[in-house]
Amino acid sequence: MSNTSDFISNLASKLGRPTPTEPPPQVELSVPQYRLSNTEERVSIFMQNWQALGGKGAIVRSADETLQCLKAWFGEQPITWFKENSQALLAWDTLPTIAESAFSSLNWPLTRYSQSAFDPRDRYSIAANAELGITGSDWGISLSGTVVVKSDPLRGRAISLLPPRHLSFIESTQIQDNLFNVLEEVAALGSPPAAIEMISGPSRTSDIEMDLSIGVHGPIEVYVIVIDH
Amino acid sequence: MTMYNQTTDERVDKALANSFLRQATRRATDRLRNNKYKAADELGNWEEWRAAGEAIRKNVISNLDYYLNQLIEQMEKRGVHVHLAKTPADAVTVVRNIVREHNAKNVLKSKSMISEEIHLNHALEEDGVEVVETDLGEYIIQIASEPPSHIIVPAMHKTRQQVADLFEPIAGHALSSDTPTLTRFVRTQMREKFLRGDIGITGCNFAVASTGSIVMVTNEGNGRMVSTLPRVQITLMGMERIVPSFRELDILLNLLARSATGQRLSSYTTILTPPKNTADPDGPEEYHLVILDHNRSEILGDKLFRSSLNCIRCGACFNVCPVYRQLGGHAYGSVYSGPIGSVITPLLEKDWKKWGHLPYFSSLCGACSEACPVRIPLHDLLVKLRMRKTQSGHTPQVERQIFKAYRYFFTREKTLRRALRLGARLQWPFVRNQRITGGPPPLSNWTNSRTLPMVAPKPFMQLWADLKNKR
Ligand code: SF4
Repeated sequence: MSNTSDFISNLASKLGRPTPTEPPPQVELSVPQYRLSNTEERVSIFMQNWQALGGKGAIVRSADETLQCLKAWFGEQPITWFKENSQALLAWDTLPTIAESAFSSLNWPLTRYSQSAFDPRDRYSIAANAELGITGSDWGISLSGTVVVKSDPLRGRAISLLPPRHLSFIESTQIQDNLFNVLEEVAALGSPPAAIEMISGPSRTSDIEMDLSIGVHGPIEVYVIVIDH
Repeated sequence: MTMYNQTTDERVDKALANSFLRQATRRATDRLRNNKYKAADELGNWEEWRAAGEAIRKNVISNLDYYLNQLIEQMEKRGVHVHLAKTPADAVTVVRNIVREHNAKNVLKSKSMISEEIHLNHALEEDGVEVVETDLGEYIIQIASEPPSHIIVPAMHKTRQQVADLFEPIAGHALSSDTPTLTRFVRTQMREKFLRGDIGITGCNFAVASTGSIVMVTNEGNGRMVSTLPRVQITLMGMERIVPSFRELDILLNLLARSATGQRLSSYTTILTPPKNTADPDGPEEYHLVILDHNRSEILGDKLFRSSLNCIRCGACFNVCPVYRQLGGHAYGSVYSGPIGSVITPLLEKDWKKWGHLPYFSSLCGACSEACPVRIPLHDLLVKLRMRKTQSGHTPQVERQIFKAYRYFFTREKTLRRALRLGARLQWPFVRNQRITGGPPPLSNWTNSRTLPMVAPKPFMQLWADLKNKR
């Protein structure tokens, strides 16, 4: 095994000069980026692209519209789920206010992932047995129909991963034109969180005879609710 | 892995005789290539993106020492264990030791070409560890004990029936070969394994030097599982897989997703800045980064081939290569196949005897260079590799004899004239439709599958002389 300075100085010698002490000059980047003019347009393109990937989506303005939307999507299913599993709906510790009040009006109790069990493995089992994982999103990307989620002690990465369905709430103003803008925001964080997940549609594979198949590992159904104040 | 023991000719014959493989490879590469065209066209200015991609990669490679050092510093600052492996054997030892230290029995892997390069699974299995490939394609070839046949779609060569046959002994009952049944089976099968994995091993698409972050791209979500659930995570990366900062990452992620599968972004793009925050409810507590050299530093020092380190492993060059499209990946015999595999394998492995055939797995049509999102001049590198091989004295005896004879005749004008006259007379038994179609060895090596132009009744030298006389 090599130590760092030997390893690095070997590379410097291969490059025929000492290792620079200053950061190398940045590469000029002048690719024309995808741009939209306003939030309304961003939301609409984001929604089109999200749906084209197989996700379901809705735009809401109030807790009541959220409730109607949840009812339309899930109907009486949660009642059946709860009969088998009281922890069928698994969520972040805090969701946007609109979401919290819609779930409580529907009387669909949410299990908070981070507090669901002491041992991580038990939490994973709870997540794997849940029917719907509910999260917020920090950003969205119009061009690719993507939601972007940061990790945090009050959140949990498995919620958007292990249950067969994932529902995410996002503020309309958080939807960006393109990946570059989102990465600029990430860079502005200074030190990024342990994980940033960019999710574009359900889990998919074409590994068997190039035949597209959904849900080989991650969620099979993905939903997004855009909150437009 | 039987195919490693076969000769090149045996592997090629086998591929040519397998009509499913050839048809499937063509169908899949057509699809991937056409998807890529669409995704590239959509950007409207693909050439500018390619130029930017090339500039970023060149900058990284020509400052690799600086960026790698920065990455290591950032990682170590947060308590990541960084291991620098000179050779594949070193990398295997590192991983083996970590697995032993934790007394781990279940290791989950998401796709990593480095793990194929260092033949990791075999070593871990020898230690009695269960290694599970969690990418569907990798899982299929793991059960079949075969190397990947494509860098993006590793089980491209398998029929659905073959997949069902491979899964059946594990399922313990008959399985129908439709895709939903097969994927459902894998989902159930893997779930249980994900939940009890001790250590997760992942690859790395890009490592962001400025923050010490690892970027991983998958469509299935297995990469997320492997980097979220086990308590300990190991990431394997080739030392060139760096991007300076998030600023440049945008370009490379766009080029990668669009060139590999024609997506705007893969289903899951994960940026890990490990280890987890102590209060996070999931994610690895302990994180190891293994950085592999394996003669990449030699390539770095070799100006002729340095640009091969710019590769972002998108597979676009495979999908347009007429040789790859006829033969699939296994005929190459190497872990990395396709045009980029033909370039880097001889350089990484430094074994002309074993890998000297690879630079010739190309028609030099240049389609690969045109497809490459970071503009690596692949066909040019293949020609230079042929030169290297010749200079190193590893060309076959027959080839050397032929070139000796060539030099002999072409440096003696009179002898050449005589030989041409003789050739023009002797060729007749072998000529059909104005082409030479047969002959004694070594000529027959060529004429068995192709024809040659006839020796002209009046050679060029004579024509030239006649012309001069006329003036
Ligand atoms: S050489 Fe270029 S086209 Fe081929 S895999 Fe690498 S980046 Fe892609």
